[in-house]
Amino acid sequence: MLATYLHLAGIEVGYGYFAPNVPGTYKLVFELHYPDGRVEYEVPRVNSAAAASRFTGLLDQIGRTKYDALREILVKMLAQSVWGEHPHVKTIRAVLGSMRLPTITEFERGKRESYEFLYAYDFSLRDAPREPEIPKEH
Amino acid sequence: MRKRLLQFLFRAESDAWLTILRVGLGVQITFYSLSLRNDWNYLLAGTSGLINRNLTEALLSVESHFVPRLGWFVALGERIGVQEQIVLSAAWICLLGAGCGLLIGFTCRFSAILAWLLHLCAAKSGAFFAYGADNFTTIGLFYLMLSPLPDRYSLDWQLGLRPKNQQFLGFWHRVLQLHLCVIYFFSGFTKSLGSGWWDGSSLWRALIRPPFNIIDPEILVRCKYLFPIAGVTIWVLEVSYPLFVWSSKTRKIWLICICAMHAAIGVTMGMYLFALIMIVLNVAAFGPDFARAEPARTNLLPQETGS
Repeated sequence: MLATYLHLAGIEVGYGYFAPNVPGTYKLVFELHYPDGRVEYEVPRVNSAAAASRFTGLLDQIGRTKYDALREILVKMLAQSVWGEHPHVKTIRAVLGSMRLPTITEFERGKRESYEFLYAYDFSLRDAPREPEIPKEH
Repeated sequence: MRKRLLQFLFRAESDAWLTILRVGLGVQITFYSLSLRNDWNYLLAGTSGLINRNLTEALLSVESHFVPRLGWFVALGERIGVQEQIVLSAAWICLLGAGCGLLIGFTCRFSAILAWLLHLCAAKSGAFFAYGADNFTTIGLFYLMLSPLPDRYSLDWQLGLRPKNQQFLGFWHRVLQLHLCVIYFFSGFTKSLGSGWWDGSSLWRALIRPPFNIIDPEILVRCKYLFPIAGVTIWVLEVSYPLFVWSSKTRKIWLICICAMHAAIGVTMGMYLFALIMIVLNVAAFGPDFARAEPARTNLLPQETGS
Protein backbone atom coordinates (compact mmCIF):
# COMPACT_ATOMS: atom_id res chain seq x y z
CA MET A 1 0.00 0.00 0.00
CA LEU A 2 2.82 2.38 0.87
CA ALA A 3 4.58 1.74 -2.45
CA THR A 4 1.32 2.46 -4.28
CA TYR A 5 0.82 5.73 -2.41
CA LEU A 6 4.40 6.82 -3.11
CA HIS A 7 3.87 6.28 -6.83
CA LEU A 8 0.49 8.01 -6.87
CA ALA A 9 1.90 11.07 -5.12
CA GLY A 10 5.08 11.16 -7.22
CA ILE A 11 7.35 10.77 -4.20
CA GLU A 12 8.84 7.33 -4.86
CA VAL A 13 12.24 8.72 -5.86
CA GLY A 14 14.81 10.85 -4.06
CA TYR A 15 15.69 14.42 -4.89
CA GLY A 16 19.41 14.17 -5.60
CA TYR A 17 19.31 15.32 -9.20
CA PHE A 18 22.85 15.68 -10.57
CA ALA A 19 24.11 14.97 -7.05
CA PRO A 20 26.47 14.36 -5.43
CA ASN A 21 28.24 14.69 -8.78
CA VAL A 22 27.09 14.84 -12.40
CA PRO A 23 27.47 11.38 -13.94
CA GLY A 24 28.76 10.66 -17.42
CA THR A 25 26.48 9.42 -20.14
CA TYR A 26 26.28 6.49 -22.53
CA LYS A 27 26.08 5.86 -26.24
CA LEU A 28 24.61 2.91 -28.08
CA VAL A 29 25.56 2.24 -31.69
CA PHE A 30 24.29 -0.56 -33.89
CA GLU A 31 26.48 -2.18 -36.53
CA LEU A 32 24.20 -3.46 -39.27
CA HIS A 33 25.70 -6.39 -41.19
CA TYR A 34 24.08 -7.07 -44.58
CA PRO A 35 24.23 -10.40 -46.46
CA ASP A 36 26.50 -8.85 -49.13
CA GLY A 37 29.11 -7.94 -46.51
CA ARG A 38 28.17 -4.26 -46.21
CA VAL A 39 28.29 -2.73 -42.75
CA GLU A 40 26.30 0.35 -41.76
CA TYR A 41 26.10 2.17 -38.47
CA GLU A 42 22.84 3.29 -36.93
CA VAL A 43 21.56 4.76 -33.69
CA PRO A 44 17.98 4.43 -32.40
CA ARG A 45 15.91 7.42 -33.47
CA VAL A 46 12.97 9.35 -32.13
CA ASN A 47 11.06 12.14 -33.84
CA SER A 48 11.37 15.09 -31.47
CA ALA A 49 13.92 16.84 -29.29
CA ALA A 50 11.75 16.20 -26.24
CA ALA A 51 11.80 12.46 -26.87
CA ALA A 52 15.54 12.58 -27.64
CA SER A 53 16.34 13.96 -24.20
CA ARG A 54 14.12 11.29 -22.67
CA PHE A 55 15.94 8.64 -24.74
CA THR A 56 19.21 9.69 -23.10
CA GLY A 57 17.64 8.74 -19.76
CA LEU A 58 16.98 5.27 -21.17
CA LEU A 59 20.62 4.89 -22.22
CA ASP A 60 21.73 5.96 -18.76
CA GLN A 61 19.51 3.27 -17.23
CA ILE A 62 20.86 0.66 -19.66
CA GLY A 63 24.40 1.64 -18.77
CA ARG A 64 23.91 1.80 -15.02
CA THR A 65 21.62 -1.13 -14.31
CA LYS A 66 23.08 -3.83 -12.06
CA TYR A 67 21.06 -6.47 -13.88
CA ASP A 68 22.80 -7.86 -16.96
CA ALA A 69 19.64 -9.63 -18.09
CA LEU A 70 17.64 -6.38 -18.04
CA ARG A 71 20.41 -4.57 -19.95
CA GLU A 72 20.40 -7.30 -22.60
CA ILE A 73 16.61 -7.23 -22.95
CA LEU A 74 16.54 -3.45 -23.35
CA VAL A 75 19.34 -3.47 -25.93
CA LYS A 76 17.55 -6.28 -27.77
CA MET A 77 14.34 -4.25 -27.91
CA LEU A 78 16.18 -1.29 -29.33
CA ALA A 79 17.87 -3.59 -31.85
CA GLN A 80 14.45 -4.87 -32.90
CA SER A 81 13.27 -1.32 -33.57
CA VAL A 82 16.33 -0.72 -35.76
CA TRP A 83 15.70 -4.05 -37.48
CA GLY A 84 12.22 -2.94 -38.35
CA GLU A 85 13.68 -0.04 -40.31
CA HIS A 86 16.35 -2.22 -41.96
CA PRO A 87 14.61 -5.54 -42.67
CA HIS A 88 17.35 -6.89 -44.96
CA VAL A 89 20.02 -6.88 -42.31
CA LYS A 90 21.58 -10.27 -41.53
CA THR A 91 23.02 -9.58 -38.09
CA ILE A 92 23.18 -6.63 -35.74
CA ARG A 93 25.95 -5.89 -33.29
CA ALA A 94 25.00 -3.47 -30.53
CA VAL A 95 27.90 -1.65 -28.91
CA LEU A 96 27.35 0.23 -25.67
CA GLY A 97 29.98 2.70 -24.53
CA SER A 98 30.30 5.21 -21.74
CA MET A 99 31.16 8.79 -22.59
CA ARG A 100 34.02 10.36 -20.68
CA LEU A 101 33.65 14.12 -20.48
CA PRO A 102 36.79 16.29 -20.39
CA THR A 103 37.51 18.58 -17.47
CA ILE A 104 37.82 22.31 -18.17
CA THR A 105 41.63 22.04 -18.12
CA GLU A 106 41.59 19.06 -20.47
CA PHE A 107 39.19 20.88 -22.78
CA GLU A 108 41.52 23.89 -22.93
CA ARG A 109 44.33 21.53 -23.91
CA GLY A 110 42.26 20.29 -26.84
CA LYS A 111 40.86 17.09 -25.38
CA ARG A 112 37.25 16.31 -26.23
CA GLU A 113 34.77 13.66 -25.05
CA SER A 114 35.91 10.08 -25.50
CA TYR A 115 34.16 6.73 -25.36
CA GLU A 116 34.99 3.64 -23.41
CA PHE A 117 33.73 0.29 -24.64
CA LEU A 118 31.44 -1.41 -22.13
CA TYR A 119 29.40 -4.17 -23.75
CA ALA A 120 28.63 -5.63 -27.15
CA TYR A 121 25.72 -7.86 -28.10
CA ASP A 122 25.28 -9.79 -31.34
CA PHE A 123 21.78 -10.42 -32.63
CA SER A 124 20.53 -12.40 -35.59
CA LEU A 125 17.00 -13.15 -36.63
CA ARG A 126 17.15 -16.85 -35.84
CA ASP A 127 19.63 -16.97 -32.98
CA ALA A 128 19.13 -15.84 -29.48
CA PRO A 129 21.63 -13.15 -28.53
CA ARG A 130 24.97 -14.56 -27.51
CA GLU A 131 26.65 -13.79 -24.24
CA PRO A 132 27.79 -10.18 -24.17
CA GLU A 133 31.45 -9.31 -24.34
CA ILE A 134 32.42 -7.67 -21.10
CA PRO A 135 35.85 -6.08 -21.16
CA LYS A 136 36.22 -5.57 -17.44
CA GLU A 137 34.41 -5.43 -14.16
CA HIS A 138 32.40 -2.28 -13.42
CA MET B 1 1.07 23.57 20.87
CA ARG B 2 -1.62 21.54 19.14
CA LYS B 3 -3.61 24.71 18.51
CA ARG B 4 -0.61 26.47 16.99
CA LEU B 5 0.05 23.48 14.77
CA LEU B 6 -3.55 23.46 13.59
CA GLN B 7 -3.40 27.21 12.97
CA PHE B 8 -0.24 26.71 10.96
CA LEU B 9 -1.71 23.90 8.86
CA PHE B 10 -5.24 25.21 8.43
CA ARG B 11 -4.83 28.98 8.24
CA ALA B 12 -7.45 31.06 6.42
CA GLU B 13 -6.13 31.49 2.96
CA SER B 14 -6.73 33.19 -0.37
CA ASP B 15 -7.04 30.85 -3.34
CA ALA B 16 -4.46 32.80 -5.39
CA TRP B 17 -1.91 29.97 -4.97
CA LEU B 18 -4.45 27.49 -6.34
CA THR B 19 -5.02 29.64 -9.42
CA ILE B 20 -1.27 29.75 -10.06
CA LEU B 21 -0.97 25.98 -9.58
CA ARG B 22 -3.96 25.22 -11.83
CA VAL B 23 -2.93 27.51 -14.68
CA GLY B 24 0.76 26.53 -14.37
CA LEU B 25 -0.03 22.82 -14.48
CA GLY B 26 -2.41 23.44 -17.37
CA VAL B 27 0.45 25.00 -19.33
CA GLN B 28 2.80 22.19 -18.24
CA ILE B 29 0.45 19.38 -19.30
CA THR B 30 -0.35 21.11 -22.59
CA PHE B 31 3.35 21.54 -23.44
CA TYR B 32 4.13 18.01 -22.24
CA SER B 33 1.46 16.56 -24.55
CA LEU B 34 2.47 18.67 -27.52
CA SER B 35 6.18 17.94 -27.06
CA LEU B 36 5.52 14.20 -27.33
CA ARG B 37 2.83 14.27 -30.03
CA ASN B 38 5.08 12.64 -32.67
CA ASP B 39 6.55 10.00 -30.38
CA TRP B 40 3.68 9.20 -28.01
CA ASN B 41 2.63 5.91 -29.58
CA TYR B 42 6.21 4.92 -30.44
CA LEU B 43 7.37 5.35 -26.82
CA LEU B 44 4.32 3.78 -25.20
CA ALA B 45 3.29 0.94 -27.53
CA GLY B 46 3.10 -2.60 -26.17
CA THR B 47 4.99 -4.52 -28.80
CA SER B 48 5.71 -2.20 -31.72
CA GLY B 49 7.30 0.60 -29.71
CA LEU B 50 10.87 1.48 -28.94
CA ILE B 51 10.77 -0.29 -25.56
CA ASN B 52 8.01 -2.81 -24.98
CA ARG B 53 5.51 -1.21 -22.61
CA ASN B 54 4.63 -4.65 -21.21
CA LEU B 55 8.17 -4.97 -19.83
CA THR B 56 7.96 -1.57 -18.11
CA GLU B 57 4.59 -2.42 -16.61
CA ALA B 58 5.80 -5.85 -15.48
CA LEU B 59 8.67 -4.16 -13.63
CA LEU B 60 6.17 -1.70 -12.13
CA SER B 61 4.06 -4.62 -10.90
CA VAL B 62 7.02 -5.86 -8.89
CA GLU B 63 6.60 -2.72 -6.77
CA SER B 64 2.82 -2.51 -6.86
CA HIS B 65 -0.03 -3.91 -8.92
CA PHE B 66 -2.22 -0.90 -8.20
CA VAL B 67 -0.25 1.93 -9.78
CA PRO B 68 -2.21 3.22 -12.81
CA ARG B 69 -0.78 2.34 -16.21
CA LEU B 70 -1.75 2.59 -19.85
CA GLY B 71 -1.92 -1.20 -20.08
CA TRP B 72 -5.22 -1.08 -18.14
CA PHE B 73 -6.82 1.09 -20.81
CA VAL B 74 -5.31 -0.97 -23.63
CA ALA B 75 -6.70 -4.17 -22.07
CA LEU B 76 -10.10 -2.51 -21.70
CA GLY B 77 -9.95 -1.40 -25.33
CA GLU B 78 -9.11 -4.93 -26.48
CA ARG B 79 -12.24 -6.25 -24.75
CA ILE B 80 -14.43 -3.92 -26.75
CA GLY B 81 -12.47 -4.34 -29.96
CA VAL B 82 -10.49 -1.07 -29.96
CA GLN B 83 -6.91 -1.27 -31.20
CA GLU B 84 -3.99 -0.32 -28.99
CA GLN B 85 -2.91 2.55 -31.25
CA ILE B 86 -6.37 4.11 -31.01
CA VAL B 87 -6.44 3.76 -27.22
CA LEU B 88 -3.01 5.41 -26.94
CA SER B 89 -4.03 8.24 -29.28
CA ALA B 90 -7.25 8.74 -27.29
CA ALA B 91 -5.21 8.93 -24.08
CA TRP B 92 -3.00 11.61 -25.64
CA ILE B 93 -6.01 13.64 -26.81
CA CYS B 94 -7.67 13.36 -23.38
CA LEU B 95 -4.44 14.46 -21.67
CA LEU B 96 -4.16 17.47 -23.96
CA GLY B 97 -7.83 18.25 -23.33
CA ALA B 98 -7.30 17.98 -19.56
CA GLY B 99 -4.36 20.39 -19.84
CA CYS B 100 -6.50 22.91 -21.73
CA GLY B 101 -9.34 22.39 -19.21
CA LEU B 102 -6.98 23.26 -16.36
CA LEU B 103 -5.67 26.25 -18.25
CA ILE B 104 -9.06 27.90 -18.57
CA GLY B 105 -10.53 26.39 -15.43
CA PHE B 106 -13.30 24.44 -17.09
CA THR B 107 -14.44 21.35 -15.14
CA CYS B 108 -11.45 21.96 -12.86
CA ARG B 109 -11.80 18.90 -10.63
CA PHE B 110 -12.43 16.48 -13.48
CA SER B 111 -9.60 18.00 -15.54
CA ALA B 112 -7.20 17.78 -12.59
CA ILE B 113 -8.05 14.13 -11.90
CA LEU B 114 -7.89 13.20 -15.59
CA ALA B 115 -4.56 15.02 -16.08
CA TRP B 116 -3.09 13.36 -12.97
CA LEU B 117 -4.32 9.90 -14.00
CA LEU B 118 -3.23 10.02 -17.65
CA HIS B 119 0.09 11.73 -16.94
CA LEU B 120 0.83 9.17 -14.22
CA CYS B 121 -0.12 6.32 -16.56
CA ALA B 122 2.20 7.68 -19.26
CA ALA B 123 5.05 8.29 -16.82
CA LYS B 124 4.75 4.79 -15.31
CA SER B 125 4.16 2.90 -18.56
CA GLY B 126 7.05 4.79 -20.13
CA ALA B 127 9.18 4.79 -16.98
CA PHE B 128 12.40 4.22 -18.95
CA PHE B 129 11.79 7.59 -20.64
CA ALA B 130 10.64 9.48 -17.55
CA TYR B 131 12.77 12.01 -15.69
CA GLY B 132 12.54 14.55 -12.87
CA ALA B 133 10.02 16.81 -14.56
CA ASP B 134 7.51 13.95 -14.62
CA ASN B 135 7.84 13.34 -10.88
CA PHE B 136 7.32 17.01 -10.08
CA THR B 137 4.35 17.18 -12.44
CA THR B 138 2.80 14.20 -10.64
CA ILE B 139 3.42 15.92 -7.29
CA GLY B 140 1.77 19.15 -8.49
CA LEU B 141 -1.22 17.36 -10.04
CA PHE B 142 -1.68 15.20 -6.93
CA TYR B 143 -2.02 18.29 -4.71
CA LEU B 144 -4.12 20.11 -7.27
CA MET B 145 -6.75 17.39 -7.56
CA LEU B 146 -7.05 17.15 -3.77
CA SER B 147 -7.37 20.92 -3.28
CA PRO B 148 -10.77 22.66 -3.07
CA LEU B 149 -11.47 23.56 -6.69
CA PRO B 150 -12.61 25.67 -8.46
CA ASP B 151 -10.67 28.85 -7.72
CA ARG B 152 -12.18 32.29 -8.28
CA TYR B 153 -10.40 32.93 -11.61
CA SER B 154 -11.61 29.71 -13.22
CA LEU B 155 -14.36 29.43 -15.79
CA ASP B 156 -16.19 27.12 -13.39
CA TRP B 157 -16.41 29.98 -10.85
CA GLN B 158 -17.85 32.25 -13.53
CA LEU B 159 -20.43 29.55 -14.20
CA GLY B 160 -21.48 29.67 -10.57
CA LEU B 161 -19.70 26.64 -9.16
CA ARG B 162 -18.18 27.00 -5.69
CA PRO B 163 -15.70 24.79 -3.84
CA LYS B 164 -16.48 22.58 -0.90
CA ASN B 165 -14.18 21.99 2.09
CA GLN B 166 -12.61 25.46 2.03
CA GLN B 167 -10.68 24.67 5.21
CA PHE B 168 -8.38 22.45 3.15
CA LEU B 169 -7.27 25.39 0.98
CA GLY B 170 -4.68 26.42 3.55
CA PHE B 171 -3.78 22.84 4.39
CA TRP B 172 -2.80 21.80 0.86
CA HIS B 173 -0.92 25.05 0.42
CA ARG B 174 1.09 24.25 3.54
CA VAL B 175 1.74 20.70 2.34
CA LEU B 176 3.08 22.03 -0.96
CA GLN B 177 5.28 24.56 0.84
CA LEU B 178 6.69 21.96 3.23
CA HIS B 179 7.22 19.47 0.43
CA LEU B 180 9.28 21.98 -1.57
CA CYS B 181 11.39 22.69 1.50
CA VAL B 182 12.15 18.97 1.88
CA ILE B 183 12.96 18.67 -1.83
CA TYR B 184 15.37 21.61 -1.89
CA PHE B 185 17.05 20.76 1.40
CA PHE B 186 17.92 17.22 0.34
CA SER B 187 18.82 18.24 -3.20
CA GLY B 188 21.20 20.91 -1.89
CA PHE B 189 22.56 18.72 0.90
CA THR B 190 23.34 15.84 -1.51
CA LYS B 191 25.05 18.26 -3.89
CA SER B 192 27.19 19.64 -1.05
CA LEU B 193 28.59 16.12 -0.52
CA GLY B 194 30.07 16.08 -4.03
CA SER B 195 33.37 17.83 -4.64
CA GLY B 196 32.17 18.80 -8.12
CA TRP B 197 29.67 21.28 -6.70
CA TRP B 198 32.46 23.04 -4.78
CA ASP B 199 34.97 23.40 -7.62
CA GLY B 200 32.43 24.00 -10.40
CA SER B 201 33.22 20.83 -12.35
CA SER B 202 29.68 19.46 -11.87
CA LEU B 203 28.21 22.55 -13.48
CA TRP B 204 30.67 22.26 -16.36
CA ARG B 205 29.83 18.57 -16.82
CA ALA B 206 26.08 19.27 -16.67
CA LEU B 207 26.40 21.89 -19.41
CA ILE B 208 28.57 19.85 -21.81
CA ARG B 209 26.77 16.54 -21.26
CA PRO B 210 24.67 15.47 -24.26
CA PRO B 211 21.83 16.17 -24.91
CA PHE B 212 22.02 19.23 -22.64
CA ASN B 213 25.04 20.70 -24.41
CA ILE B 214 23.19 23.42 -26.27
CA ILE B 215 25.81 26.08 -25.45
CA ASP B 216 29.14 25.72 -27.24
CA PRO B 217 31.81 24.60 -24.71
CA GLU B 218 34.17 27.12 -26.33
CA ILE B 219 31.87 29.85 -24.99
CA LEU B 220 31.46 28.14 -21.62
CA VAL B 221 35.18 27.80 -21.06
CA ARG B 222 35.56 31.59 -21.17
CA CYS B 223 33.41 31.74 -18.02
CA LYS B 224 35.38 29.06 -16.20
CA TYR B 225 36.05 31.29 -13.18
CA LEU B 226 32.33 31.60 -12.58
CA PHE B 227 31.70 27.84 -12.31
CA PRO B 228 32.94 27.36 -8.71
CA ILE B 229 30.95 30.41 -7.56
CA ALA B 230 27.82 29.28 -9.40
CA GLY B 231 28.21 25.68 -8.17
CA VAL B 232 28.43 26.70 -4.52
CA THR B 233 25.65 29.26 -4.96
CA ILE B 234 23.30 26.58 -6.28
CA TRP B 235 23.64 24.14 -3.40
CA VAL B 236 23.70 26.93 -0.79
CA LEU B 237 20.48 28.35 -2.25
CA GLU B 238 18.88 24.92 -2.16
CA VAL B 239 20.01 23.76 1.24
CA SER B 240 19.07 27.09 2.89
CA TYR B 241 15.70 27.30 1.10
CA PRO B 242 13.73 25.95 4.11
CA LEU B 243 15.34 28.58 6.34
CA PHE B 244 15.00 31.70 4.25
CA VAL B 245 11.83 31.17 2.22
CA TRP B 246 9.60 31.37 5.31
CA SER B 247 10.79 34.76 6.50
CA SER B 248 9.02 37.68 4.84
CA LYS B 249 12.36 39.56 4.79
CA THR B 250 14.25 36.96 2.76
CA ARG B 251 11.43 35.19 0.90
CA LYS B 252 11.50 37.57 -2.03
CA ILE B 253 15.20 37.19 -2.76
CA TRP B 254 15.16 33.40 -2.28
CA LEU B 255 12.15 32.92 -4.49
CA ILE B 256 13.60 35.11 -7.23
CA CYS B 257 16.98 33.36 -7.04
CA ILE B 258 15.46 29.85 -7.14
CA CYS B 259 13.18 30.76 -10.06
CA ALA B 260 16.13 32.39 -11.87
CA MET B 261 18.15 29.21 -11.32
CA HIS B 262 15.41 27.07 -12.87
CA ALA B 263 14.96 29.51 -15.74
CA ALA B 264 18.71 29.31 -16.37
CA ILE B 265 18.53 25.49 -16.37
CA GLY B 266 15.74 25.70 -18.92
CA VAL B 267 17.59 28.11 -21.20
CA THR B 268 21.13 26.71 -20.95
CA MET B 269 20.29 22.99 -20.88
CA GLY B 270 17.09 22.91 -22.90
CA MET B 271 15.13 21.41 -19.97
CA TYR B 272 12.11 23.62 -20.53
CA LEU B 273 9.50 21.35 -18.96
CA PHE B 274 11.63 20.81 -15.87
CA ALA B 275 12.21 24.55 -15.51
CA LEU B 276 8.54 25.32 -16.01
CA ILE B 277 7.21 22.86 -13.44
CA MET B 278 9.72 23.98 -10.80
CA ILE B 279 8.88 27.64 -11.32
CA VAL B 280 5.15 26.86 -11.19
CA LEU B 281 5.49 24.90 -7.93
CA ASN B 282 7.65 27.61 -6.34
CA VAL B 283 5.44 30.51 -7.38
CA ALA B 284 2.30 28.63 -6.31
CA ALA B 285 3.84 27.75 -2.94
CA PHE B 286 5.41 31.07 -1.98
CA GLY B 287 4.46 33.57 -4.69
CA PRO B 288 1.14 34.74 -3.20
CA ASP B 289 2.84 35.35 0.20
CA PHE B 290 5.59 37.22 -1.58
CA ALA B 291 3.11 39.44 -3.43
CA ARG B 292 1.19 40.23 -0.26
CA ALA B 293 2.70 43.11 1.71
CA GLU B 294 0.13 42.79 4.45
CA PRO B 295 -1.13 39.27 5.10
CA ALA B 296 -4.68 40.10 4.13
CA ARG B 297 -6.51 36.84 4.52
CA THR B 298 -9.66 36.24 2.70
CA ASN B 299 -12.30 34.26 4.39
CA LEU B 300 -13.67 32.03 1.70
CA LEU B 301 -16.26 30.23 3.71
CA PRO B 302 -18.68 28.89 1.17
CA GLN B 303 -21.55 31.23 0.60
CA GLU B 304 -23.15 28.74 -1.64
CA THR B 305 -21.95 25.26 -2.30
CA GLY B 306 -22.07 23.49 -5.53
CA SER B 307 -19.77 21.67 -7.86
